[in-house]
Amino acid sequence: MDNQYKVVHCTINGKEVSQIVDVRASLTDMLRNDFRLTSVKKGCEVGECGACTVIINGESFNSCIYLAVWAEGKDIWTLEGLAGPGGELSDIQQAFIDEGAIQCGFCSPGFILTSWEIVNSGKEYTDDELRKALSGHLCRCTGYENIFRAVKKTMLRRLGKNEEAELVNSQGITEYPDPMPFK
Amino acid sequence: MANTLLMAKTAAEAIAAKTASAAFLAGGTEVNRLGSSVEAETLISLKKCEGLDSIKKVGNMVEIGSMCTFQKMVESQDIPAYMKEAALFMASRTKRNMATIGGNVAARRSDSYLLSALCAADAEVSVLTGDVEKKINVNAYINEENADSLITGITVPVGIKVASKRYANTAQSHAVITMSAASTSRGIKLAVAIKNVGILSFNLSSSGKLTEEAAVAYFKTVELKGIEDDMFGSVDYKRYLLGVTAYDLCKQLTAGSGKEV
Repeated sequence: MDNQYKVVHCTINGKEVSQIVDVRASLTDMLRNDFRLTSVKKGCEVGECGACTVIINGESFNSCIYLAVWAEGKDIWTLEGLAGPGGELSDIQQAFIDEGAIQCGFCSPGFILTSWEIVNSGKEYTDDELRKALSGHLCRCTGYENIFRAVKKTMLRRLGKNEEAELVNSQGITEYPDPMPFK
Repeated sequence: MANTLLMAKTAAEAIAAKTASAAFLAGGTEVNRLGSSVEAETLISLKKCEGLDSIKKVGNMVEIGSMCTFQKMVESQDIPAYMKEAALFMASRTKRNMATIGGNVAARRSDSYLLSALCAADAEVSVLTGDVEKKINVNAYINEENADSLITGITVPVGIKVASKRYANTAQSHAVITMSAASTSRGIKLAVAIKNVGILSFNLSSSGKLTEEAAVAYFKTVELKGIEDDMFGSVDYKRYLLGVTAYDLCKQLTAGSGKEV
């Protein structure tokens, strides 16, 4: 039984922590039970719904199928870590509110963290690429269009394309003004 | 249920720790999932093994380390398009950040994301047994017992034409049928992963003409052990899908080449 527990040292939301964990425990269990980070949701537990998503070393992972002991030395971020020191929301969180992209809220933490990885990449994704990049998440309220719009607008704003972000319509399509208006 | 986890630092260390009651743990998307089919008392994690996640182009082949993730393959410029397409069959980016090519091959799942493309392309699997490393064809690997061996890499050809198609309930779920066709000097090689049946390969000679009717008729009667009516479709429907897909993929490969399908 000596091997059944291990001490994990990692950084969670910018704070260095150490925790004794069962080697069989998932990262979801460690974050929820030991650190009370309940934005990390338990959903399908097979890595398909995306509700348990966390950021590890800058990339999004399903924490339900990620062993807690693998977190040794890693830099982990959950939704709780995205807000500023005064509790101010990050741009991606605000965009989710502005676009009505939150309904029951169960999928929101996971969606927001994957969106964070996407907008932090500094790349401009096409609509098709953006939809594919978000496809590891399931929303039971089926609010996908609003979520897509929130991510697209944040991506464009981060790239300094504020005017273009305002042209994104309710279906998430960028509606450019007609360069040759009818006379 | 596993009660011990060993973190191997090298492939040799992992092999040395392997016993009958132990299993290797790569990315964890199959082994760590609820309802996993893998039963072991000890898990040997390969996450910290050094040098197993590289991608190297050598002539007209690419050597992919077994711990290379699906997402790393998608983002690499050296990986051929057909392998990127197969990796993208795993729709979830978060899962692609975890799942590894070695883990997917070693799991030998009948609904594997990668095996149909790898088998059609005649990829080679580098396998470490004891202190001996050898390369074997992926088609042979999936049909052999390799309980005490560890996959260290997969070598795939570049510059060949491979077309794939996948049928699944959702973008997220495992597929019912994943079929790939590769154009080789001897004709067209078809490989198909059928849920609950396995991975099957077929060689179509370059002479002769394949019609849609002939393809459908072939798959209507060919022996497919384990195929059954289920929520994904009836046996007849699945067999029909296999026929029309085989024809479509062959047509796609020969389009513009002047060859008859």
